[in-house]
Amino acid sequence: MTAVRSDTARALPAVVTAAEPQDGPVGVASVSAADLEAVTAELAAFPGARLADLFAARAAGYEPSGSGVAPADAAARQARTADPVTLRAVWALDHDQRYLITETPVGGSRYPALSDIAPAAFAEECEIYEQFGIRPAGGKPLNRVATPPQPDIDLPRLGRGPDEPPQDVHAPHVVGGQAFEFPFGPVRQVGVESLYYGLVTSGEELVDLYLFTWHKHRGIEWRTQGQTPQQALFGVERAEGLGAIGNGWAFAAAAESALGLDPGPAVRAVRGVALELERLYNHAAAIAALCQACGLAVGRAAAEIALEQLLRLNAAVFGHRYLFNVLAIGGVRRGPDATALRAGLPAAYGELRRAADALLATNSFVDRLEATGVVTTEEARRLGLVGPVARASGIANDTRADHPGAGSAAARPAVADETGGDVLARLNVMLAEAAESVRLIDAHLTTDGLAHAAAAEPGPPPRSGVRSGLGWAESSRGESLAWVELDEAGRISRARLRPAAVRNWRGFDDACRSQNVFTDIPIIEASFWLTVAGTAR
Amino acid sequence: MTAAPDLPHLATPATAETAAADDLRRAINRQFGRSLHIRTLDTGSCAACEQEIRMLAAPHYDLHRLGLFFTPAPRHADLLLVTGPMLRAFATAARKTYDAMPAPKLVVATGACALGGVYQPDAFSHGSVEQVLPVDVWIPGCPPSPLALLQGLLVAVGRLAEQAGGQSFVAAGSA
Repeated sequence: MTAVRSDTARALPAVVTAAEPQDGPVGVASVSAADLEAVTAELAAFPGARLADLFAARAAGYEPSGSGVAPADAAARQARTADPVTLRAVWALDHDQRYLITETPVGGSRYPALSDIAPAAFAEECEIYEQFGIRPAGGKPLNRVATPPQPDIDLPRLGRGPDEPPQDVHAPHVVGGQAFEFPFGPVRQVGVESLYYGLVTSGEELVDLYLFTWHKHRGIEWRTQGQTPQQALFGVERAEGLGAIGNGWAFAAAAESALGLDPGPAVRAVRGVALELERLYNHAAAIAALCQACGLAVGRAAAEIALEQLLRLNAAVFGHRYLFNVLAIGGVRRGPDATALRAGLPAAYGELRRAADALLATNSFVDRLEATGVVTTEEARRLGLVGPVARASGIANDTRADHPGAGSAAARPAVADETGGDVLARLNVMLAEAAESVRLIDAHLTTDGLAHAAAAEPGPPPRSGVRSGLGWAESSRGESLAWVELDEAGRISRARLRPAAVRNWRGFDDACRSQNVFTDIPIIEASFWLTVAGTAR
Repeated sequence: MTAAPDLPHLATPATAETAAADDLRRAINRQFGRSLHIRTLDTGSCAACEQEIRMLAAPHYDLHRLGLFFTPAPRHADLLLVTGPMLRAFATAARKTYDAMPAPKLVVATGACALGGVYQPDAFSHGSVEQVLPVDVWIPGCPPSPLALLQGLLVAVGRLAEQAGGQSFVAAGSA
């Protein structure tokens, strides 16, 4: 590990990117709390660097006392001291195929405000406050993320909870005193997840929008504590059911990195096939939802025919319509039925393509999507958006291409890239990616040893002692990250899950604000195709 | 203007789906005059159950031809299709939704989480739907396939008949 100070920070990315490939694609540097702000500023200015995640963990070896919930008595609250916490920032150096983790021990209850330099970090700063009770300097209000406001519900925390509860989100601005808040949810349309919208409107135009998701927070990260990685994988797959492979692979890769296991190219190819199947069905589902939002019953039916065929193909190839229980730590539970895949995929994809061609030839549909829900390149970069949403806004990030290694199979995709930033651009990106997925599945299927990947011998004996690892995968919604720390017994002491939905919901607010009206919201939501479960994990 | 897409799969498939669908149609015809309205409720699911529920309206399953409809308003609903492990933070919203429904009404717990197979009762979750709402029918599966959902709805319609105590919902003499 390299120790970095403010005066050596400028050289840090160069040190990381100059490292030999055998040192691995993840660099770790320790940064003191005093230097954190300067180092963050240097990294934020480095070309191709983006703050991919920010999270905290209890300092290694520290045993907490008590339940983590603040006592009701004010004097008792004052008497408590903050737990020692290690703050980790994950930087993706996309031009150099590297990730960089900075580790900063925080002794008191404050640390430098990183969201002033990298605005993408704000939601994570709120999360860290709720879970560990430490807050960024500057005293800006921190929003409620995962803890419900009901006083009778005290959820366990990952660390020592904050002394004062976080603030409820409210509209940051009101236009001319004429706007009002229109609450909608959490029980909303039929057949969709629970989600609370706070709509701020002056009648028709959407002035502002904020979301509550705490009523779906299931504490998946908290649940993994004390489990083995293999046990935890069950919950990780079910954190976001429509991203079981993307998130599961990121988590498995993190655990494998911590354990020193290399599952090998055949296992990665099997995971790659499953990942592309997941992408195909998700994009088909997004297109069906887009038609539903636009009131196109025929288009929706056509897309759903393709979707149902793809789900049945998943079941034929991997035994589950949503690809649960395919992954294992260090390998895969089963290989694909290549015969069924080769027989079924062209027909299912052809159905999707036919629906898409008919839709794109329907002017009233295309008109509805143009200039709706625009996310500019600048906004997408500022908020650290990932996946199809970022790629539709002119940021060609794709971990399958940018970060080969544990989270990618050998074959690389051509990265779809649009610049419009509107719903139509996102649709075009999804269609280009679906075509690329079919090509990649073909390439993955030719990998040597694919048929025997599920029966592969376990690798060298796992490393022992306290160890940690970072994992990533390009889920259908974008970069999914996971970080796992194991104790001496091989059980999880801290697992951090950052599905792509955590990032992209931030862009949803901005997309909805840009000159849109109420009826645009379902269209924008379908084009983002996020899940509440992915962010309220 | 281009030609409409050719959609051969819109034709009804002759499979087990058809047989289950026929039974369901007869039962609902008898009890609910081709009008059973379903409200869905997510109490902490992973979104896979919701996707399968949406597939019920897709051409392969086409709920509407059976006289079953989704309704966004609990006040119009006969049946509450509940997914997820009933998180404590959501219990109030779940009770309010149930209370808003007119009697006779049914609760169908849908999927492994709702049945208590995924989450233990703990600080986050009640562990299963029946801890908060009176469940009439359980549909297993992680997630339950659309065909399993149809079968569960068939069972539920039978239960609704019991609950209504033989009261007829169809005017005498009408089909």
